[in-house]
Amino acid sequence: MRLPKFEYIEPKTLREAIKALSAHPTETLLLAGGTDLLVNMKYGVVKPTTLINLRSIPKLNYILEEKETLRIGSLISLHDLYTSPLIQEKFPILSQAAREVGAYAHQVMGTIGGNLCQGNRCRFYNQSPFWRSVRPPCFKTGGEICHVIRKPKECHSTYCGDMAPVLIALGARIKVIGPQGERIFPLKRLYTQNGKKPLSLRKGEILKEVLVSQSSGKSIYLKWRWRGSIEFPIVSLALYIEKEDNKITLARVVFSGLGEGPLEISEIEKRLLGSTLEDSIIDSLSEQVTKLVSPMRTSIYSPAYKRKMAGILLREGLDKLK
Amino acid sequence: MKRILKLNVNGEDLEILVEGHKTLLEVLREDLGLTGTKRGCDLGTCGACTVLIDGKPWLSCLTLAAAVQGKKITTIEGLAGDGKLHPLQSAFIEKGAIQCGFCTPGMILTAKAFLEENPHPSEEETKKAISGNLCRCTGYVKIIEAILSVSGSE
Repeated sequence: MRLPKFEYIEPKTLREAIKALSAHPTETLLLAGGTDLLVNMKYGVVKPTTLINLRSIPKLNYILEEKETLRIGSLISLHDLYTSPLIQEKFPILSQAAREVGAYAHQVMGTIGGNLCQGNRCRFYNQSPFWRSVRPPCFKTGGEICHVIRKPKECHSTYCGDMAPVLIALGARIKVIGPQGERIFPLKRLYTQNGKKPLSLRKGEILKEVLVSQSSGKSIYLKWRWRGSIEFPIVSLALYIEKEDNKITLARVVFSGLGEGPLEISEIEKRLLGSTLEDSIIDSLSEQVTKLVSPMRTSIYSPAYKRKMAGILLREGLDKLK
Repeated sequence: MKRILKLNVNGEDLEILVEGHKTLLEVLREDLGLTGTKRGCDLGTCGACTVLIDGKPWLSCLTLAAAVQGKKITTIEGLAGDGKLHPLQSAFIEKGAIQCGFCTPGMILTAKAFLEENPHPSEEETKKAISGNLCRCTGYVKIIEAILSVSGSE
């Protein structure tokens, strides 16, 4: 499959990249590792007229420790992330999650910024032009209807990233830089929960770095997938809990693969507060979560199966964090 | 728009004229005639197009040629030196790790990068490292054997 023609730009600074991106925001896309974007371009589901290669900008692939906060440059590769002794020591869960993405070569090519901004997925969307040609274009590819629910003007494509649920569970923030300057906000707010436009980045904005603060809690990432490698999660779960006197004082429960963005389940988090993770509460929560999530049939896995697996993952995660 | 690309392929400095939308795989196979790098799925799933860029495995089907300006690229053609096969190539032959051979270039290059990073891996680590390189013939057993025999962890 050949890539369609486009204009290729290699900016030397972020300022140059922002300027180029702001000039034609709808037809210009940012390229980092390319493991997601170039596949979608070959499939013809994204058709940029211009690509800006962020990898030509020096000094965006750093991991810095400042006081209690780790600053991770958006162009650090997933491989560099998980081999970093600093990450392995301070945030082993981040190292583990980065190893779960794709396979060896994807980890070398893929970047943390690219992974956080990866496109949503759907069985009607991530397909060749030939495969898609039997139906009218879906809403995400510029048509009228969402084939998943057969309704117009809605998109239920699913977010399937590995790093976002973990970083949201760790309470990470991100720094984006755009024509109006920099802004820092919780990573959770990067995601709109809208399948057609999954990211909340404004015109000309670029993700510059991820900020994670050191914390005292325990965390775990569980990824359920078809094969032990390569695959996106069918469902995955990042859990983070802080305890005092054996009682939970803070809990974050974030799923991937179940919604239009990383899905934080606040009802479960609230019920976890004050609990000591006795068996009865774990039973009850893993039952409840299956009713709280409503995945769509965006892959070959049925919504019922995904709901069931959400409960199983929550049970396993809470058991391990006891 | 065409641009001049300077790169080092298998130890040789080259200057070629490429279009911005061409992938490294297309340039290697079509412009440089290095057909050892295979076009498999062409979507980054099978690993047949793996080459080494600055010693690390990259999927050349998902890499823009323009983006590797100034990089050192190793393809399977550049592995043997002075008429002698690379130890991994010899091991693949000795252990019978090649059948149709289509996955072999990518498999060997991934294994080379992996062993440089982790010279004495376990079997599990080796399986994980080559999990992005699909082989439909061998069942992987002999491939793992070949890689471990070179690492000395057999």
